[in-house]
Amino acid sequence: MTHQPLLQVKDLHVFYDQIEALRGVSLSVDERAIVTLIGANGAGKSTLLRSISGILRARSGSIKFAGASIEQAPAHLIARTGLAHVPEGRRLFAKLTVDENLRMGAFRRNDRRAIEDDRERLMDMFPRLRERTAQISGTLSGGEQQMVAMARALMSRPRMLLLDEPSMGLSPLMVDFVFDTITKINGEGITILLVEQNASLALQIATSAYVIESGSISLQGSGVSLLHDERVREAYLG
Amino acid sequence: MMTATNVLPERRARWRISFSAATSWVLRISIALILVAGVVGSILKDRYSADQWFDLVAFGITIGSVYALIALGYTMVYGVLRLINFAHGDIMMAGSFAGFFIAASMERSGFLDQHPVLAFAAMLAVAMLVSAGIAVLTERFAYRPFRHVRGLAPLICAIGVSFFLQQSFRGFFGAGLRSYPDPVWLRAPVSLFEFNVPAVQVLVVASAIVVMLVLYLIVHKTKMGTAMRAVSEDVETATLMGIDVNRVVTFTFALGGAVGGVAGVFYGLVFKQVYFFMGFTPGIKAFGAAVLGGIGNVPGAMIGGIFLGICESLAPALLLDGLGIPAPYQMRDLIAFTLLIAVLIFRPYGIFGERLAGKRG
Repeated sequence: MTHQPLLQVKDLHVFYDQIEALRGVSLSVDERAIVTLIGANGAGKSTLLRSISGILRARSGSIKFAGASIEQAPAHLIARTGLAHVPEGRRLFAKLTVDENLRMGAFRRNDRRAIEDDRERLMDMFPRLRERTAQISGTLSGGEQQMVAMARALMSRPRMLLLDEPSMGLSPLMVDFVFDTITKINGEGITILLVEQNASLALQIATSAYVIESGSISLQGSGVSLLHDERVREAYLG
Repeated sequence: MMTATNVLPERRARWRISFSAATSWVLRISIALILVAGVVGSILKDRYSADQWFDLVAFGITIGSVYALIALGYTMVYGVLRLINFAHGDIMMAGSFAGFFIAASMERSGFLDQHPVLAFAAMLAVAMLVSAGIAVLTERFAYRPFRHVRGLAPLICAIGVSFFLQQSFRGFFGAGLRSYPDPVWLRAPVSLFEFNVPAVQVLVVASAIVVMLVLYLIVHKTKMGTAMRAVSEDVETATLMGIDVNRVVTFTFALGGAVGGVAGVFYGLVFKQVYFFMGFTPGIKAFGAAVLGGIGNVPGAMIGGIFLGICESLAPALLLDGLGIPAPYQMRDLIAFTLLIAVLIFRPYGIFGERLAGKRG
C-alpha cells in the first residue's frame, strides 16, 4: 500500500501581479500530523496557506487534499471539504457576537443537535468564552479573540486546520495556552499545518517542519531535527 | 535655529485647522439661527390648527416609513457589496407598476372592493416578486461583472441600470401618469387620538412596521442574515467559513428588492399614481435617509427614513412659512436634499456613526 498524505502541495507557483511570491513550493502533510512552517516575514508562509484554502489562485502546480485536486476550486467549496483556515490576525466578524461567529463556523452544517454538542464541547475547551457568548467579539481581548477564531474553525468539524500565526500579539501565558490547545486538537485526530513566528515552540510540537525562504522551501525535516539545526538556530531561534 | 524652522510650519498648520473649524462653526451657527428664526416665525404666525399639525406629522411618518423601506435596500446592498445601487429607486418603481397592474385588474373584476385584505396581500406579493426578481437579475448581469472593479465604474453602471429600467418601463407602459386604484376602504378616515387619518396612512405605517420587524429578524436571527452581516464585514473570511458569497449577494438583492417592491405599492397608494420616473426622487431621498442613519446600518436606515419623512413634511409649515418663503410646500424636496447635503458635510458617518468605507482588511 502506498502512503498517501492528507495534503500534498506540488511545485506551487503563486504571483502577486508580476511578483512571484511562491517559487515552486512542495510540501506534504500526513493525516494526524502537526506540520510547522517557519520563515521570515514576507517569505511566503501566509501566501502558501491562502493558496491552499483557495483565497489566492496559483499560476501553476497542484494541491491535493484528501485525494481530490483543489487548486482550481473556489474557497467556499474547499472549506466544505474539511479544510479550515484560521487566518492571520484572527479575522473575527468583529460586529457579530461570539456565538454568531461560532455559528458562522458551522455555516455549511445542518445537523442542529450535533452543532449544539460541538459548541458545548468547545466551551469546555475554551472556558473563558462560555460567559462571553453574547458579547460582540470585537470587544474581546487578543487571547480571547484567538480562542474564538480557533473555536469558529473547529465548528466546521474539519479534518485539517491551517493556523496562521495563532500566537501573534499574545501574552506568554496565552501563547502557552494556544500551543497546549493545538496539541489537544491534534490529539483528537485533526491534522494541523501551523505557520509560526515563535519557531522554537512550534518546532517542539511539530512532527515535521519546513523552512521557507523567499518563496521556496529551503529546509525540511522532523521538528526535533530542525530545532537542533545550526542554520535554523541561527536564523529563527537566536 | 533648528527649532525656529520647525515651529513655523507647525503653527501655520494649526492656524489652518482653526480656520476651517471656524468656517464650519459659522455655517453651523447660521443654520441654527435660520432654524430658530423659522420656527419662531411660524409659531408667532399661528397659521395652522392642531388638526393640520397632526396631519403633517401623520403624513411625514407615512412617507417616512416608505423612505425607510427603500433605504433598507440601499443600506443592505451597500453593506454587503460597498455598492450604491442607484437603480434601487427604479426597482421600487417596478414594484409599484406590478402592484398597480394587479390592483387595476382586481378593480375591474370587483375583487378589490370585496376582499380588501386578500387584494392588498396579492398586490404586495406580486410587487415583492417582481422587484426582487428585477433586483436579482440586475445584480447577476449588470453588477457582478464589476464585483472586483475599483473606482467609479460600478457606480456608473448602477446609474446606467437606473436609466435602463426607467426607459424600459417607459417603452413598455408609456410615459403618461396612471392613477392607482383608490378603493373606498383606503379612503375611509380612521380616528386616532381624536384626530382623523386616512386609512391608507394607517395601513402603510402599520404594514411598514411589520415588514421592518420581519426584516430585522431575518437579518439578525437567521443563518442567511448572519451570513449577510459576516460578508459585510469580511468577504474573504466569510468564504473561509464555506459561505458562498454569490448566494449571499443574491439573497441580499432579493431581500432589498422585495422590501423595495412593498415600498413601491405604498408609494403608489399614498400618491395615487404610477409613472416610469417615479422611482428617481424617492430613491435619492431614501439613499439620503440611509446615509443619515449610517449606510450599512439596518436600524439606521429605518430611523433615517422616518426622520427624513417627518422633516420634509413638517419643515415647510414649521420653518419655511416662518421665514416668509412663499409656496413653502413646493420646497419639500429641497428640504430633503438640503438635509442630505448637511448630513454629508457635518456627519458623513450618519447619526449612528457607521463608517462609509475602508474597514476591509
